[in-house]
Order: sequence, then C-alpha cells, then structure tokens
Amino acid sequence: MNRRNFLKTGLGAAVAGALPMSLVELAWGAKDSERFTFAYISDSHITQIKGNRFVRNWDRGLIRAVAECNLLDPRPDFVIYGGDIAQLGKPEEIDHGLEIMSGLRDKVHYVMGEHDYYVDLGEYWRKRLGPDWYSFDHKGVHFIVLNSILTYPEWMHRKWDSGMARMKEMARLDNPNGSPFMVGEEQRKWLARDLAKVSHDTPIVVCSHSPLQKIYKGWNFWTEDAEQIHKLLAPFEKVTVIYGHVHQIQYNQLGNISFYAVMATAWPWPYPNSYAQADSRLPKLTVPMNRADPFFERDATGWQFIDVHTGRADVHYFLPSNSNRSVVFDERRGHPVDTRYQELAARIPPQNHY
Amino acid sequence: MSTMRTLAVVVALATAVPTAAEPPLGLPPVPIPADNPQTEAKVALGDRLFHDKRFSADGKVACSTCHDREKAFTDHKPVSQGFRNLRGTRNAPTVVNAAYMKTLFWDGREPDLEGQARQPFINPVEGGLPDHEPMLDVIRKDPDYVKAFKAVFGVEPGEITIDHVVKAIAAFERTILSGNSPFDRWRYGGEEEALTEAQKRGFEVFVGKGRCVSCHVIEQTQALFTDNKFHNIGVGFKKIRGREFEVAREFIRAKRRGADVDKTVLTKPEASELGRFAVTEDITQVGAFKTPTLRNVAVTFPYMHDGSLESLEDVVDFYNNGGRLREDDPVSPFLSGGIRPLDLSDQEKKDLVAFLEALTSPEYDRIAENR
Amino acid sequence: MKRSKSNRWRAGCVAALALGPVQADEFTQQDLERWNQEFMEVVREGDRLFHGGFPSKNTVSCDQCHPNASNTHPETYPKFQKQLGEVVPLWRMINWCIQNPLQSEPLAADDARMTALQAYIHWERRGVKLEPGKH
Repeated sequence: MNRRNFLKTGLGAAVAGALPMSLVELAWGAKDSERFTFAYISDSHITQIKGNRFVRNWDRGLIRAVAECNLLDPRPDFVIYGGDIAQLGKPEEIDHGLEIMSGLRDKVHYVMGEHDYYVDLGEYWRKRLGPDWYSFDHKGVHFIVLNSILTYPEWMHRKWDSGMARMKEMARLDNPNGSPFMVGEEQRKWLARDLAKVSHDTPIVVCSHSPLQKIYKGWNFWTEDAEQIHKLLAPFEKVTVIYGHVHQIQYNQLGNISFYAVMATAWPWPYPNSYAQADSRLPKLTVPMNRADPFFERDATGWQFIDVHTGRADVHYFLPSNSNRSVVFDERRGHPVDTRYQELAARIPPQNHY
Repeated sequence: MSTMRTLAVVVALATAVPTAAEPPLGLPPVPIPADNPQTEAKVALGDRLFHDKRFSADGKVACSTCHDREKAFTDHKPVSQGFRNLRGTRNAPTVVNAAYMKTLFWDGREPDLEGQARQPFINPVEGGLPDHEPMLDVIRKDPDYVKAFKAVFGVEPGEITIDHVVKAIAAFERTILSGNSPFDRWRYGGEEEALTEAQKRGFEVFVGKGRCVSCHVIEQTQALFTDNKFHNIGVGFKKIRGREFEVAREFIRAKRRGADVDKTVLTKPEASELGRFAVTEDITQVGAFKTPTLRNVAVTFPYMHDGSLESLEDVVDFYNNGGRLREDDPVSPFLSGGIRPLDLSDQEKKDLVAFLEALTSPEYDRIAENR
Repeated sequence: MKRSKSNRWRAGCVAALALGPVQADEFTQQDLERWNQEFMEVVREGDRLFHGGFPSKNTVSCDQCHPNASNTHPETYPKFQKQLGEVVPLWRMINWCIQNPLQSEPLAADDARMTALQAYIHWERRGVKLEPGKH
C-alpha cells in the first residue's frame, strides 16, 4: 500500500475516531528506510504545592501521556519533550517531572521552556538535562533544538527581588509587565554555523518552545526574532518547526517552513481571538482544537505521534476525552492540512472559539 | 381513542411496563429508527423471541436469562453465564432505558439495539450457536412464529432472516422504559415530599462535591443519567497492569488475523479490560467503558463492567478514593481526567447512596424491598 | 386616561427643570468619573484574585486556563452548564471552577470577592453583545 492510498483509505477512516496503534506498520513499506516516527510530549507544568505534594491534575496529564506513549507499536525512534516540564522552575518540580518521564521506554530529547528557565536562568535544568540548544541527525533528517524563550537582557537582568520573583512575572501568560521571547543573537550565530554544515536538500526539523512565528504578543504566542530565524532557514527545501507553549492545535505554512504546535499535557489555553480587547493573528490554515469540558481534566490536552516521511512531518494528536486529530503535509497544496476537518464545511461546533 | 387507551392500560398492567408513546416522567421521547417503526404486533413478537430459550446451544438460555424482568432486566451476577453455565467477562447491563443508548455493550461495539441483539446467540460463552441458522430453523418451523412474522414483516417462512428477528427484539426493548422515580417526581413533577431530606442532601453531593453529574447526566427537563461516552474509571486495570502494551498488541494482531471483537472480549479476560480500545484501536481509550444509566441502580447490583463491586456503598467508596476501592490501591495511569479523590464525609457518602436509591422506578420497588 | 397620566408626567418634568438641579436622578460628569473609579477599583481587585490572589488550596489560579479572562463568556449567562445539570448564572460556574480546578471553598453569591471576580471577567469582555444561553 503506498502512502497516498493509505491516507485515502486506512488513515482517513481510522482518524475519524481514532488512530490505530498499528498505524506505523500499515503506513510503512519495508523498502522505505528513511521513514521513521517520534513522539512529542510537552507543557506538563508540574507544580509543587508543598513538600512532596504536587498538583494532581498536572501530574496525571504527564503520567497518562507517558502510559499512552508506551503503547505505540512499533516503538517511536525517540521522544521529544517540548518544554515547561515545571511550573515555577523549582528543582523539586523538574525532578518530579523527570521521574514521571523516566517511565518512557524511549530516549528523550528535551526543549527548554520559560517555566523551566526564569528562576535560575536554566541552571538546574541544564544540570539535569545538558545544553539547552543543540542539534542531531537522525535517518537523514537534521534536528535542531533551540532555546527560544530568552528575552531582552534589560528585562532578564533587571533588579529582581529574587529569581522566583522574575519567574512568577514570566509565568503569568497575560502579564502586561512581561517581555517577549526571543532566540537571541548568540544562538542565531550558532544556528548559522550549525546550518552551514548541512546541505540544502537535507530535511530540517526545528524544535522550539515558543512559536517561531508571531501570533499574539500579549500572551507571548510570539518570538521576537522569528523573521531572522526564518531567513537562516530559507535556503533549505524542507523545514518543519514544532513548538509548544500555546497548549493548542496550531499549524501554518510560511514560505518553505511548515509550523505545527503541540498540545500540553496539563491544560488548554484559549485561542487568542477569544480575548475581545486585542487583535491577534491565528494562522488562517489552523482548524482549532475542540473547546474543552473542564470537568474532564484531560480534555483538550494530549500528546503527539509524528510520522516523518520524505522529509515532511505528519502530526497525529492523541487527545484523551476527545477525537484524535491528524495534521499532515499535503504535497499538492504545499502546506499542512487536517485530514478530516480542513474544509470549512467539515468543521464542527466545538471548533468555534469566540 | 378510548379503546386504544384501554388497550394500552391492559398491556401496561399485563407487563407491568409502560408501552405508551408518552415517555415516563423524567425521560425524553424514545428515538425510533426510521427502518424499524414500532407496532404492537412487533413488540409482542419481540417479547416472545426475547424469552425463547430454544435460541441457544443447550436450549436453556434466552435473552431473558441475563436480562430478567424480575431482576430489573439484569441477572444479579458479577458476570453473565451462558449455555452450560459458561462465564463471560462482563456484567449484564440492564435493558431498562437501553432504548436511549447511542451505542450498545460496555464498549459500544454495536451502534443500536438491533446490532446488539444479533451477537449473544452466537457468542461462544452466551447462546453458543455456531451461527444464526439453527434459531432461524426453529422459527421457520414454529407455526405461531410463522404467523407472527407474516403479520409483522409480511415474510414467508423461507424469507425470515436474523434481521427480522433482531428488529422485533429491539422493538420490544424500546418499550422497556422506566422513569417516574421519587427523584423524577421531586425534580420534574414538583412533589417536594417525594425525596427524603437525606436524598435531597445526596442530590447536592451528586451534582456538587461528588462530581457525578458530568457523566451521569441530569438536565433541566430530563435525566438519562448517562453521557453515552466512554471513560476509564480505574475498574479492572489491575488485571492487565504493567502488561497493557503486550495485551493490546496481542489483541490487535489477533484482530488483524480476523478475530471477532465480540467473541474475543467476552472469552479473554485480559482483552476484555482493553475496553473501548478493542473497538476503536484508539490508545486514549484503553480501559474505557460506557457510562451506564443510574436509573434503578439500587436494583441492578452488582456494579461496574466486571461486576466487581457488590454494593452502592462500595461504588461510592471507589469513586471517593479516586478510582480505587481502597486508598492504598494503585491509581491507573490511564484514569479519566474526570476521576479524582472526592474527600466525601461519611454523612455525604450515606446521603449519596440514599439519593441513588431514589432512582428506582415503581415497577422495580419490590426488588429493593426483597434484597 | 392613559393620555392624561402621560401629560401629568410631562408637566412634572417641566416643573422639575424650572426648579433646578436638585433631582435625585441627575448626575454630573464628575459623578460618572467617580463611579467609574469605584467600579475600576473592584475590577482591579477581581484582577488580583483572578491572577493568583484567590487563596487556592492547590496553587491553581483562574488565569492559568483563562488569560485575560478569555473563554469565560460572561455574555452567555444564564445558560445550561452540564457540569451542574441545569441553567445557571455566571457566579455558579465561577464557584464550580473554585471547587474543582482550584479545589477550594466556594463563595457566597454576594461575597465581595465574587462581585470582584465578576467585575473583572465582565470588564475583559466589554463590548461583546449579550447572547444568553449560548454554548
């Protein structure tokens, strides 16, 4: 079965309600050695209440994602964790989150989120997990992990009462006294050097915490130097950016770059257009996730299984208490599409956010 | 008009179950599929088929064996027993108000009552027939059935199929409706005295601290006490704990080789615990089972998909501890986000049980009295 | 009958105009500004409670799911809430959130903190048309 047929029949039917665990087996031809999968878990916001007491809701989100991810058959090649494993960057929170993550059967690559960073500027996180920006190659694809949640040095190094005071300012999403995220000059120079070694026909996957595009500054659905990053990535034929932070389904195509947001395991954020007092720019391509019933604490949270083929990434969203979604790269149209809801006529009432 | 009303009253008296088009207090109108309209003759035929023990391998098992009117259309056993007393893996859900269900069976593997009725005859631990032919033979040779099928469906004996049989059974089941409980009279009938003070307090727990109402739905003008959805509430997970991957993989591989879902989940205890996953193959639905109605819950013991909880007190404890019977039991990693410890006081737990006892319809009161 | 009543009312108005600014229902620009300040003071208190100021027993705060009080939809109440099984006003749903995601004690309907939370939630939604009952 070739991929196109599979999408038409098997996947189309399956995604209607679910994603078969054996999807990968069905989708792969044995000859297609460059095809592989990885899983993506993000935004768990593990929160210490006191001592060994943590917020149960957020714990359960990560525990469930890990348990479900462990059911994938065959195994993904690796897992990427998309940032914000902690809520206030405390060592206790990072440790507790990593302990839950240790239940995964697979190797994990970690991305830094602002909730991991602003209490000690990432020191404890790096001590546990290593550098916060790096790259690696896997089966012909060049992966780049960026720390995209840095900000202006004037804000970062203001006279704060404590690291925790700074953390709490940055932890509040709608904080008018916050500061925009950025990758920053040092990292951009590193990125330019890293990319210089890569041929332009090598597929690139960039993992960042914040969207490497500008959607809504008020909630930092934003990266201040996004355009400069786009420019560095412009020479490459196939570029995919995967980001966390927004706790919702988003996808977009800007030039040669396909963007996909991943879900949080903790809780969903509203779409910025549901804030009536400000304008925002949700990508027109995006068919929103369903609005959640807050009783079901996992509704509108989830994790992802990503199928990489011919240098493109198809993102399958596992959404407990809701219907799973698949957003795949459409070669003909040249951008990501939802396999079920992309056409206006196919959309359903819960996707209407207001 | 008056003749019809008299007839309806006679039928109601004869069966002790209302068959009138007007639903009982607290229930919405029954959805009737366009391709299977209700007729009195069809319902009567379905009633007879439902109680016919000849449709099983040992001639001793009818639908009514596990769905016994005297037991509020359940069997009061943890899991059902089929021909030669073979045991399945799941507790028999009541037929009462099944007419409102959007899917049938604990895992929703059939979309309607017609589809559901097809399966037990040929399940190896239920009716035990190899296929539907033996029962169709019985029907085709029974002069009363021949007459009834002719009258209801206009078919000659040779034309009778399982489709006709299950349509008649489903039509009968669509008459098994029960509302009009003390709760209904209090909430929808304006009878302030219909509930005791403990039951009224229990209602507050039900919609408040107990977090029951989100799945066991009550609305402004009606209450089905189910959301028709599937949730992992932690029941039975210990049976496959730590081996979910292997059990799921084995199940999927068998299914790919052609294994039948209905037969597999009722004969293999481990596969049974996969719940809704067995039907959808969606890994977010491992161990998820359909929300049952709570109407007549006090008379449809024991509880949960595997019949593992004997009393309503146990059920309340199970939820109060966040999806486990005892506080030191492990919590399933696949647990629904709706389930968490509730911190109910002993008084609140008692009140909640009292409220659940107010959901018994008058036609089943005597079961509660005799328990 | 009707007309004569209306005429009497009109005559009363004319008389009041002639008498000068001592009527109870007349107010000045300064009144408006002061009342608005009073209102905004309560909005600010609601903002504070909404952003971690409420004594939440599990640290969870309203803004964690509702930045700028978005996705609270005060303009749609009263409406049917399946979490409560009936048609409810906004404050009942606020209490649901306090009791469930925040795992804390509910507020009385006329508690000043409940008023403040509603003031903030409505303020962030100002200008949006009323759509009672909308889900």
